[in-house]
Amino acid sequence: MSAPHSLIATERLGGHRRPTTEPPWVRRLLIGVALAFLAIFLWVPLAAVFAQAFAKGARAYFDSFNDPVTFAAVKLTLIAAGIAVPLNLVFGVAAAWAISKFNFPGKSLLITLIDLPFSVSPVIAGLIYVLLFGAQGLLGPWLIDHDIRIIFAVPGIVLATTFVTFPFVARELIPLMQAQGRSEEEAALSLGASGWQTFWRVTVPNIKWGLLYGIILCNARAMGEFGAVSVVSGHIRGETNTIPLHIEILYSENVVAAFAVATLLTLLALVTLCLKTWVEWRAAAESQTAEAE
Amino acid sequence: MSVEVRNITKTFGSFTALNNVSLNVESGELIALLGPSGSGKTTLLRIIAGLEFADPGTAQVLFHGEDVTNLPASQRRAGFAFQHYALFRHLTVFENIAFGLRVRPRATRPSEESIRERVTELLKLIQLDPLANRFPSQLSGGQRQRVALARALAVEPKVLLLDEPFGALDAKVRKQLRRWLRKLHDDIHITSIFVTHDQEEALEVADRVVVMNEGGIVQIGPPHEVYDRPANAFVFNFLGNVNLFQGRMDDGLMKIGDTELHVAENLGTSVSDATVYFRPHDVKVSTEPVGQESIAALIRHINLAGPVVRIDLERADTGSRFEVELNREQWQGIDRRVGDRVFVDLQRVRVFPTDHKTPLEDFSI
Amino acid sequence: MAQRKTSPLPGFRLTLGYTLLYLCLIVLLPLAATFLKTATLTWDQFWTTVTAPRVLASYRLTFGTSLLAAMVNLVFGLLVAWVLVRYNFFGKKIVDALVDLPFALPTAVAGIALTAIYAPNGWLGKPLAALGIKAAFTPLGIFIALTFIGLPFVVRTVQPVLEDLDAEVEEAAASLGATRFQTFRYVIIPMLLPSLLTGFSLSFARALGEYGSVVFIAGNQPMKTEITALLIITKLDQYNYAEATAIAVVMLVFSFVMLLTVNLLQWWGSRFQQPH
Repeated sequence: MSAPHSLIATERLGGHRRPTTEPPWVRRLLIGVALAFLAIFLWVPLAAVFAQAFAKGARAYFDSFNDPVTFAAVKLTLIAAGIAVPLNLVFGVAAAWAISKFNFPGKSLLITLIDLPFSVSPVIAGLIYVLLFGAQGLLGPWLIDHDIRIIFAVPGIVLATTFVTFPFVARELIPLMQAQGRSEEEAALSLGASGWQTFWRVTVPNIKWGLLYGIILCNARAMGEFGAVSVVSGHIRGETNTIPLHIEILYSENVVAAFAVATLLTLLALVTLCLKTWVEWRAAAESQTAEAE
Repeated sequence: MSVEVRNITKTFGSFTALNNVSLNVESGELIALLGPSGSGKTTLLRIIAGLEFADPGTAQVLFHGEDVTNLPASQRRAGFAFQHYALFRHLTVFENIAFGLRVRPRATRPSEESIRERVTELLKLIQLDPLANRFPSQLSGGQRQRVALARALAVEPKVLLLDEPFGALDAKVRKQLRRWLRKLHDDIHITSIFVTHDQEEALEVADRVVVMNEGGIVQIGPPHEVYDRPANAFVFNFLGNVNLFQGRMDDGLMKIGDTELHVAENLGTSVSDATVYFRPHDVKVSTEPVGQESIAALIRHINLAGPVVRIDLERADTGSRFEVELNREQWQGIDRRVGDRVFVDLQRVRVFPTDHKTPLEDFSI
Repeated sequence: MAQRKTSPLPGFRLTLGYTLLYLCLIVLLPLAATFLKTATLTWDQFWTTVTAPRVLASYRLTFGTSLLAAMVNLVFGLLVAWVLVRYNFFGKKIVDALVDLPFALPTAVAGIALTAIYAPNGWLGKPLAALGIKAAFTPLGIFIALTFIGLPFVVRTVQPVLEDLDAEVEEAAASLGATRFQTFRYVIIPMLLPSLLTGFSLSFARALGEYGSVVFIAGNQPMKTEITALLIITKLDQYNYAEATAIAVVMLVFSFVMLLTVNLLQWWGSRFQQPH
């Protein structure tokens, strides 16, 4: 039947109610409670960041950024994310290709292991690198002999960031590519395309939204990571402080400045959410056109 | 338990799904609502079940004279079988069937023992008693629909409503299951209404067929009656294969191409453009003209596979194509090849005014 | 690993090889190093470390507040998912997008924002203080922070399942005489159960290891408001690597148990899937 049976009956049908919806007062009550919960736990903290940042006026807010140490923190954050995100992107694509296009024993174990960093506390994520590369770590003496610094230096921060953002791209792509199967790639090969051509011309266009989504989330986490980076950083001002670590230090000295810098990351989070919504919307629109055809 | 609906109108936004429909179903009848998609048949069924409500006004739904228009689905006791079964996938076959008994208010809820008895009885009825502890995902489509029927019957419904009950099944299971449904109905005699877009299914199973189109009822009658005496061109078209010849009507004489036919219908003097409808098997084919009304045609294709011989013909005068069906003996009396000329006499025709809103070429389907 | 001819596509050796190598380098080898490090402790030393009163208090606090936060998220996550899927209201799209805020907002920012709100002179801290309730620098504050960071998990695991729920199944229940509440209780909840439990476990697991959002609001007093993750950092700051590692291993074991639980739940949830 082509008559649209919508689940959501917004209007009352002459006093009648479809069996798949609730009385209006129940609906209003549930919406009210849900929104109150979200307001207290999500929206108020979001508003608080900006309120605190502008507590002493716009001038104090903008003055907060006029600090070379803040610039150094921004720069370090960009470096860490700039290395960790591409690394995990390449890994995510490779892992998704192997897992979704081939059958091999131990596949579900591999998928579970890829998810592992999500279940490890960020503090432990930092700790494991300290135990490996720190002065008293397994490789510590060798590194000292060769004058290589990893812990309390930039490489450690990059490593810890890579660890905590490890699964993001892979876990977006694996289910997506598994659902798509491999018939399109097989068709491309049968038409004479090479492996690389098939990947770039067939696979990538099919997964572009999932890929973008994974990169966006990966980047947000990379720039915002606190616990893991905190353990390996050593908190050297202007050298090994990323933005979140810089906020922690500012918070005990100058609350307005801490919140002012925090607005940068909050805006990044909001941009991330916008991009995510946009990507979902685009992906849904494309799959709808595909179905209509 | 009879079912009556009066003055049902239902609109979805600007789309009118049902336009002032009334229908009376006798107690114990098995009725088919037949129509193309968008004709409003499913909406009508859902309104009877209380899953949808008619636009407010004079609409009424009566179960055995009792007004249930304002009762929600849960209080109507109308058993409903869905096209995709809608089984509870987290419950076993047994618990699916028992569901309606278990959710009754404590005062009227049967004891655990009588629930068990009733479910076992129904499992026997649908011949699935060995599968009582399976989950729906472990059953075939036909088995799932039988479970869905048993689940609907468990609450001893006043009326059984089936929405395209066999629509999701493959052709063979479909045929088996509709015979089974007919037999089941003959055994338990519950007033039943089922929706289908398959005319063969409706004609085979139902006591009466309700043909629907564009939100209204076009014709109601026993299967042979709607098939033999369709009320209009739509019904004729919808109930089986048909050929159409367009022509002009003049005082009981129908001119199609070079031929003039004497027809029974009198469409009045105001109608001049008319269309002749006939079924492919309601013809006589000869190698020589039989009389004035024989239509000369050339054989374009012959399909000998199957119980009947299907022949594509092209009229010699207008060049329009049509199809005829002959049994094998008839064909042996003719035995011509592609390209040969034959003569066709129409045995039973119906003439309806030509529908200028949706102009049709002469065609065969 | 030998190439298996299960697919005509190229790149199996290359991609799987790279995947395994990268996984080992970044994740598996460093994790293994942690366990190696604890091996420098004797069993007795290990046991004494991980069962010291201060450590036990941190477990109790971490598990208790995490469990409570996950339970609140279970109930309200279901409610939010339900409202977003089933009802229409003004601004629904924005509300939906903002649910992911705790995923996108750095934990340190969440931490200082929550602290500012619940401090005795904060927006919500003040009215609470008037009622005699102290939120910041108490276990209540930790619970609030953990509820914040775990909020999206239940919503985002339940939402798609709720969207795919066949309306016909609810209609079937109604036509069988079930009230709306019975349909919810006996049909909808059982079908959502695997996703509800998965969301609950994810939320709980995330809370167990959380550090950034908690450390500002917690107060960090040993035996009272010191979570396990913070205790590990404290030990590290004192260069007490062996004890830090021992406690970390206990936390890791719990993480793995939670990971296993989530995987089992997902397998269980796919059990009823009807092959269409």
